[in-house]
Amino acid sequence: MDRPSPNFHPGLIGSAPQAPAPPKTGVGIIKRRRGTGVYVTWLVAPSTIWLILFLIVPLLSIIVFSFWQINDQNVMVPNFTLVNYAEYFHTEGFFDPSSDKFLTLSSNILTLWTTLRLTMEVMVICLLLAYPIAYFLAMQVKAFKWQLALFLMCMVPFWTSYLIRTVAWVPMLGRRGLVNKFLLWIGIVEKPLGFLLYSEFSLTLALVQLYVVLCIGPIFFSLAKIDNSILEAARDMGAKPYQIFREIILPLSLPGVAIGMIFIWVMIMGEFATAGLVGGGKMALVGNSIIDLMGTGQYPPASSIALMLMLTMMIGVFIILKLVDIRKQL
Amino acid sequence: MKQKSVKSTATTPKNGVSRRKILQTAAQAATVGAIASGFPYRFNIVHGAESFRTIGLGVSVINEIQSKASKDIGHRIRGQALGYGAMFGKMLTQNTQYEVAEGYYNDMDVMWPNKVWQPIDTRRIKHWDQISNLAKTGKLTPGSQYGQGDAPFRQLWLDSNAKVTLNGPTRYVTMVPGWHNADSIGYNPDETGRVIDSWGDLMSDEFKGRVALLNIPQIGMMDATMAVEALGLYKFKDKGNMTRKEIDFVIDYLIKKKKAGHFRALWETFGQSVQLMTSGEVALESMWSPAVTAIRAEGVKCIFASPKEGMRGWHGGLAISAKVSGRKLDAVYEYINWWLDGWAGAFVARQGYYMSTYKRSKNYMSAAEWDFWYEGKPAATDLPDPFGTIIIKKGKIRDGGSYEQRFKKIALWNSVMDENSYLVKRWGEFKNA
Amino acid sequence: MARWTAERKKKAWIKTLFSGYYILFIIFIFGPMFAMFVLSFQGRLAGTNFPMRSYGFYWWKKLIEPSVVGDMQGALLRSIILALIVMVITAVFSTMLGMAFRKKFVGSGLLFYMIMSGIMVPGILISLGLAMVLKVLGITPTWWFSALGVHVIWTLPFGFLIMMAVFNRFDHSLEEAARDMGASEWTVFKEVTLPLILPGVVAAGLFGFTLSYDEFARTTQVAGEFNTLPLDIYASFTQRIRPTIFALGTGSTIFSIMLIGLFVLVYTLIFRRK
Repeated sequence: MDRPSPNFHPGLIGSAPQAPAPPKTGVGIIKRRRGTGVYVTWLVAPSTIWLILFLIVPLLSIIVFSFWQINDQNVMVPNFTLVNYAEYFHTEGFFDPSSDKFLTLSSNILTLWTTLRLTMEVMVICLLLAYPIAYFLAMQVKAFKWQLALFLMCMVPFWTSYLIRTVAWVPMLGRRGLVNKFLLWIGIVEKPLGFLLYSEFSLTLALVQLYVVLCIGPIFFSLAKIDNSILEAARDMGAKPYQIFREIILPLSLPGVAIGMIFIWVMIMGEFATAGLVGGGKMALVGNSIIDLMGTGQYPPASSIALMLMLTMMIGVFIILKLVDIRKQL
Repeated sequence: MKQKSVKSTATTPKNGVSRRKILQTAAQAATVGAIASGFPYRFNIVHGAESFRTIGLGVSVINEIQSKASKDIGHRIRGQALGYGAMFGKMLTQNTQYEVAEGYYNDMDVMWPNKVWQPIDTRRIKHWDQISNLAKTGKLTPGSQYGQGDAPFRQLWLDSNAKVTLNGPTRYVTMVPGWHNADSIGYNPDETGRVIDSWGDLMSDEFKGRVALLNIPQIGMMDATMAVEALGLYKFKDKGNMTRKEIDFVIDYLIKKKKAGHFRALWETFGQSVQLMTSGEVALESMWSPAVTAIRAEGVKCIFASPKEGMRGWHGGLAISAKVSGRKLDAVYEYINWWLDGWAGAFVARQGYYMSTYKRSKNYMSAAEWDFWYEGKPAATDLPDPFGTIIIKKGKIRDGGSYEQRFKKIALWNSVMDENSYLVKRWGEFKNA
Repeated sequence: MARWTAERKKKAWIKTLFSGYYILFIIFIFGPMFAMFVLSFQGRLAGTNFPMRSYGFYWWKKLIEPSVVGDMQGALLRSIILALIVMVITAVFSTMLGMAFRKKFVGSGLLFYMIMSGIMVPGILISLGLAMVLKVLGITPTWWFSALGVHVIWTLPFGFLIMMAVFNRFDHSLEEAARDMGASEWTVFKEVTLPLILPGVVAAGLFGFTLSYDEFARTTQVAGEFNTLPLDIYASFTQRIRPTIFALGTGSTIFSIMLIGLFVLVYTLIFRRK
């Protein structure tokens, strides 16, 4: 075993040997609490300043733009109008029974819905694929160096620019691509399958391949912290493997699952390039609408769409966090 | 000197970074690569009186062009090639970050009223009189027809209030006309089995599932509109500036076709359109003409169609940021004059683009090159691309005929319509159908 | 005794099963790269598609020559330097935030959503917004200042959430004990906390590196006059897509795998000596 030394346990975060609880005196607690307050301020100050400079200020300008207007000269004019938001929800002929758009939601909302649906699909697939990998790394691979090495292997494709990787899907899945060649060769199909590329299938596949690694990290950390002694105790009490998994491992790994979900959620909701390169532009994601508007300088409507997207993402994160408390102390 | 530059690159700047040092380090990165492989460093930056920056697409911002210009006129020119979206945004919102904008006339509706560029004095343009009438009047030859949309002559001239006017010629212009081309459909004759000679063929049921369309809403819409009109389904008043009703008609038609599985893909970048054809994914697609050359260079058959309705044109040029003045402005004018002088025109011609001062480009091209690229005659010898690779074999002929034939009949120029944001919204519906 | 062997057999079997799954998984995520590896050895007159027309190192050689459009080597170097700086900042900031968020404090909810906004705001707009703000302030955007700014905004939430997973159910008793023995906060952190959370810090940094190296949308408007690698690659798409980018992808993959091998080797050597 090449485990370093007993008090250097990188593989088992937080499950260090129990130390006897120190005697707590009233004075000690008060003193420490005050100390902690100052200490917290210092800990969050650099990030907060950075966030204000590079996030909050630009974000405020986006919020301001969303109330501005483009005049008929294509110039953005300061204003306070809700027209961009009205346009967001507006469908021509919504209340007109004779129109074919009668009671149809606005195209922006439909685009948001498409994006949402795709995100959910990708999220579920990513979780299903990533969980066993994280489990394998945390529970089956014992040495830290191998855990890290095998995790890094999953990250290697990420170090090739995604622009390159998405272009590489074409020679893989195209009509004359490797997969079709293989299928023709073994004789399963008689002519190349078209749906492999430029379809919802290829888009989902490419997105899963791009982002699945984001799920592995957090789930791995949650699993790695599960104390082996709990599992052994359960086993000694005669619990069956699936019971142990359902009653102990799964609940304890939920924070990691939730964080992985948040990663995938925000990544796919904001995605745009892959939809063009691998999806063949056949599905419009919210990101594409924003790009299309920005490509002609329509910043106010682009801003309002972006803010609605952000709001949706925020609600999603909020729901995920309500379902799983990632700060739970057990 | 070279030894020294390698050394300073090795130290990674971290704390107390000086802007210059990082820039140096970055610039030297290329040097290191070049030295490592034993190649001479190609960008011998001439220390001239002025240095300035130019931004644009990879069509005109090509290292060899800017470094040749630097050498010829003795200024330091830094070109930054960007993708279309990044270029557009930077041109519109950051005119302090460039001196020259290698822009496009279809963006003028947005750029000019926002006052990011300055009027250009035609009296300071040495070869102004040699710029062809295509950009100045809209008619390359007296017998040509006007194209609809944002033709350069509609976006070129400025009145005394620096407003764009249709009443040219005037002394001041928005942008100096440069490289341009006409787009139509590219197809693989083995796959289509016949000649494609109409925009309507894009929608033909014979090619169901083997068609790709351009996914830039403004331009993709124009190609689709050309097809709808060619099929006689609708008569448009002005395809360069459509009404909501007209947009609705085309989009609804596209949605119907899409639901029937007509389109294989929508493409966004030049490279993607090439890949679609070379990978055998599509039989025909709306295409930019140099893409055809690139496809053939990979050994795949491809023909550039000459639709009987006429092609869709686009025109680029050189604009100057409103923030430039003094000696830097003089230097920028020198650069623009250099562009019009002919060397650059010959360079872009070898990639299949045309130049506004094409008669000057002739001086920098061999007779065989001129005949092939501009006159539409068979290649008398093997012809290279700008980088020396032979891409045209002897005896080949350029599709679409001569320059004059091609630009005599431009049906439509790339445009941004008044109903642009409505168009974008409905285009999204098409994509999601 | 017999039961013990059966148990062991079963364990070994399960491990094999998982290892098999891991290998399949690796094949899946490397899938599209396989075509890329092969195609990077295309001959001169060929493109980014099958069939292979000829073989050679032509596009690999192109990798070290100056590019036609843009400047791939310079962009690569800039992207790596930028990603390394982002990596360090992400790791440090995430650790600090992770430490702070172990207890609720005034404004912790607000700060949490503020951090999370960094990944929720569409990148292309935050890029534009920052560019406009900088223009008003008269500050020149550069890749090592404004692009760095938005990159950290983007990577920080990832690192932060990883640290949340690390500090979740974190055992405080060791730290308490050290404190009671009179250790200063810094000593407690260095001697007790850091060794326990180190893998998380490393992971946060790696996420920072990876995400920054690959970032495109956020960089578009604030890179200044020098492109990062993704901007450069995208600009080159206005020309033909050349197999050079496949050579680049293959090269960086091989390089990364070699680094991992090196890491395992060095790690083994260091801890064997101890």
